Amino acid sequence: MYRAQLTVEGIVQGVGFRPAVYRLAHELGLTGYVRNMGNLVEIVLEGDEERIKRFIERLKAEKPPISRITRINNEMTAIDSPSFSDFSIKESSSESSGTSVIPADVATCSRCLEEIMDEDNRRYLYPFTACTDCGPRFTVIESIPYDRERTSMREFPLCSSCMEEYLNPLDRRYHAEATCCPVCGPRPFLWRGDVIETDNPLKMAAEFLDEGEILAVKGIGGTHLVCRADDEDAVMKLRSRLGRPSQPFACMSPDVPSVEVYACISEAEEKALTSRRRPIVVLNKNSDYPLAPSVAPGLHNIGVMLPYSGMHHVLFRYTAAPAYVMTSANKPGDPMFIRNSEITRGLEGIADYFLLHDRKIINRCDDSVVRFRGGEMAFIRRSRGYAPEPYDLTHLSENLSALCLGPELDVTFSVLKGGQCYVSQHIGNTSRYDTLLFLKDAVNYLMGITGTESVDVIACDLHPQFLTTSYAEELSERFSADILRVQHHHAHALALMLDNGVGECVCIAADGVGYGADGTSWGGEILHCHGPEYSRVGSLMPQKMPGGDLATRYPARMLLSMLLDSYDGDIRELFIERYLDYFPHGEREIDVVLKQMETGLNTGVSSSTGRALDAISAALRICGMRTYEGECAMKLESTAFRAKGELKIPFRIMKRDGRYILDTSGILMDVMDFLESGEKRAEIAHAAQRAVAEGLAEMAVLAAEDLGVEVIGGTGGVFYNEAISLAVRDYVKERGYSFIQHRNSCAGDGSVSLGQAVAAALEYRK
Amino acid sequence: MKIGMSHGAGGEVMQDLISNIILSNIHNTRVNGGVGLEDLDDGASIPLGDYEIVMSTDGHTVDPLFFPGGDIGKISVAGTVNDISVMGARPLAIASAMILSEGFPGEDLERIVQSMDAVSRETGVSIVTGDTKVMERGKLDRMVITTTGIGVVKRGEIIRDSGLRPGDKIILTGSVGDHGMALMAFREGFGFDTDLESDVAPVWGMVEAALEVGGVTAMKDPTRGGIANALNELADKSGVGMVVDEDMIPVREEVRAVSEMLGIDPYEVANEGKVIMGVDPEYAEDVLRAVRKAPYGENARIIGEANQDSHVILETSLGGRRILEAPVADPVPRVC
Ligand SMILES: [Fe+3]
Ligand SMILES: [Mg+2]
Ligand SMILES: [Zn+2]
Ligand SMILES: [Zn+2]
Repeated sequence: MYRAQLTVEGIVQGVGFRPAVYRLAHELGLTGYVRNMGNLVEIVLEGDEERIKRFIERLKAEKPPISRITRINNEMTAIDSPSFSDFSIKESSSESSGTSVIPADVATCSRCLEEIMDEDNRRYLYPFTACTDCGPRFTVIESIPYDRERTSMREFPLCSSCMEEYLNPLDRRYHAEATCCPVCGPRPFLWRGDVIETDNPLKMAAEFLDEGEILAVKGIGGTHLVCRADDEDAVMKLRSRLGRPSQPFACMSPDVPSVEVYACISEAEEKALTSRRRPIVVLNKNSDYPLAPSVAPGLHNIGVMLPYSGMHHVLFRYTAAPAYVMTSANKPGDPMFIRNSEITRGLEGIADYFLLHDRKIINRCDDSVVRFRGGEMAFIRRSRGYAPEPYDLTHLSENLSALCLGPELDVTFSVLKGGQCYVSQHIGNTSRYDTLLFLKDAVNYLMGITGTESVDVIACDLHPQFLTTSYAEELSERFSADILRVQHHHAHALALMLDNGVGECVCIAADGVGYGADGTSWGGEILHCHGPEYSRVGSLMPQKMPGGDLATRYPARMLLSMLLDSYDGDIRELFIERYLDYFPHGEREIDVVLKQMETGLNTGVSSSTGRALDAISAALRICGMRTYEGECAMKLESTAFRAKGELKIPFRIMKRDGRYILDTSGILMDVMDFLESGEKRAEIAHAAQRAVAEGLAEMAVLAAEDLGVEVIGGTGGVFYNEAISLAVRDYVKERGYSFIQHRNSCAGDGSVSLGQAVAAALEYRK
Repeated sequence: MKIGMSHGAGGEVMQDLISNIILSNIHNTRVNGGVGLEDLDDGASIPLGDYEIVMSTDGHTVDPLFFPGGDIGKISVAGTVNDISVMGARPLAIASAMILSEGFPGEDLERIVQSMDAVSRETGVSIVTGDTKVMERGKLDRMVITTTGIGVVKRGEIIRDSGLRPGDKIILTGSVGDHGMALMAFREGFGFDTDLESDVAPVWGMVEAALEVGGVTAMKDPTRGGIANALNELADKSGVGMVVDEDMIPVREEVRAVSEMLGIDPYEVANEGKVIMGVDPEYAEDVLRAVRKAPYGENARIIGEANQDSHVILETSLGGRRILEAPVADPVPRVC
């Protein structure tokens, strides 16, 4: 007879793990107990060796759907006589060790949904219905171990019916920490200056929406601004109140068939849409598109999600709307409002009514966004439904603990501990004060729920002016931790390499901006990455940015800069004739820009791909002012989307200072020539995008040849562009190299903190 | 290390130069326990009996020498008078050293000296001593004027940068960015219309009016690095934070237009006739009224309030809150 002492790490708490263990032990006739320990699960089994082994095999195979096992430690000893007569579930112990973590939030499961829709069930139409397989997790937890008392459900003591379920190991709500019912749980209510008396606030909310009103709806990890997506007036009203003229809004539809009315869905996309993580999936619009045009103006695609909480399911029961606009309720750049008083104050004059509830949101968590390119998924934002699930870095580091603060825009941060890298939810633009405060709060919470008291290393960006950099300096003092400054595109590349299990590659890092090792702004880089080292082996041609960041907002400035040296005619005339309206101060401003090019006053230098695409977009008169991040490049992609691909723009690569340079001015000159000769804008857009993509790919191939490297990778926000990412992939493969891209991480800045963690692990392994 | 232009730009790079090379190599920096060199205030003080002598010096290298709204002569006297004034001391006298390049036109020199005289007469500050040197052609760009001023204040009544307390109101005496933007536009030959004009002026009248009311806790003239630098310096040295209502900061339309064309923040460029004051909230309204009646003070406003935080936060009715940082010499793009 044997006794096995098992400890299981991973996502093993709050996911129905102990009942699953209980049932399995009973089935196999094993005795002993299971209990939660801080952040791992301890199992003691007694019985014959064969059965114990079978138990472990089956546990791995039959574990509950949300759970994840990263490690099982097993100590087997032969014993003479048993100490247990049955198998039981013991009280939690708060001793903590190991590296298990709180699971992410999970969309309402089918069994809970059935109950919500069942007139005879006591949870009929109850929006907060949840069980061990579904419901909020990360968004309600304050500290570990994950027990109801340490969540915002603490304020809702269970009624006797709920308690019975909660205590029965064979019930699917056994220790479901977020379980509740209409008798004991949170309540929704409608508000406008005061609570609106009604016995059915959700039905009333749906009616308001049908009438064209805008609602603020507090949900699981944040608040949405909601209106009908087929009501152009309502959508325009929302746009003008928010001051967001064209940033695309995400939508929610009740089910897949309603989405198919306005967008096409591949099999893989449907899988993502209906997965329990329920991200927003960016889908191509149908050519017949019946929603309001201003939901995603100027774009060929639209972000769509399906209901993920009882609230959503019930709302859709009361309306015939094919989709609601569901956009994060915040001031531009600021975090979403999550407290009732802030929601009503902050959105005064924006929302007509407020659909609120009385459960606190502990961890703010924006919706995740994914996009498929050539059938492969990429994260645009990895947040609700995924965060804070860790990435495994045990092959790089067992013991280092690090806090990595990311860049400045689209920030996530990461906690590296015990070989696991916990990437936070989406934080946002940390140049905003309130977002910086959110970052600091979120750091405290994530360190708390991962049981991290102090760290050895603080990693941050190389940019000297980022507020995350000064925060890193402050924290390194507080923890007496080393500070590691990681170049932005190197961090991008390291995240990509981790995602693909690659130790060396030539990486194309293409995005808007990152502080370069030479103090200029980078963003179209070919980096050779090997271990903790990298070298810059190629880039787009460095171009002046007259007016600095102003050239990002007004891309015609970039266009002028890139054409200036090569253009034969009178460039001033050209701009006055074709692009005058792209300069808010008119002719006078064109003269200023020309003068800035001459004197160099406030003209940074950038090799950014984003700026090159912006310039093409401006040249073709697709976009003359950027009102949201990536707008000009996204609209360029949408314009090119329906092109036949009959034009070709050649690209030219030269070698300068020992690195390859792609002549972006040359590409712009060809764009102007094609415009002159009357070619279609869509065709020119397509050809120009392709030239940039293949130029980058060719530089990477040339460098890989020089270096004898076989893997080429693509990272950075530009790789969200499907046309560019496919063109690069095909070009690289054609030339006999393998191509890697992000699969389980963001191509954009959302995974910079992960890359910084990899850099720290590599640096301190030496 | 070699000195770059950024070492004179008034940002963090210059602060580093000052602490690493200058402060670390000078040992006698203070007299009779007054304000000394390493305080890096607007000037120094020498307590003598019931009074303190306040002293400040400034080397002026303006390009161009003549610009809309003033010239190097006006700035060299007004600048030093202002540094004395914002220490809370009545400016008394100026010493001036001029270094001229061989070949410098006599008529230009005369115009410059007349400008110096005009400010001296306006403020009642005498120019009491001086020196003139000439350097060989090519060794110096036209001219440099160094002025040193002294003023006097009752012992213990000096106003320091570090005196701001949580709750104090922040008064700004007028529009920002005028001098820096006018000079930049003019120097770079952008050919702007002449609405753009330097604000160079002596601020003693406004300061005197404020001091007569009382309650002034800190003062600074937002020259190099603009109000972004001055507000951060006040906050840092006083160990407080502040919230500033951005809608209350006056920026002339023409300055705003030029800043929007150059991509340069009007908060980060020099002013030569403005004061930022921290004032006890009880006195703030009265001080504001007094300043508004004084010369150059008609557009004074209360722009914000100090608090116990550690950042300078700009608040706008529409745009929420952002952190106003002290400028660095060369801004690096950060918008993605
Ligand atoms: Fe990036
Ligand atoms: Mg002072
Ligand atoms: Zn469920
Ligand atoms: Zn209940």
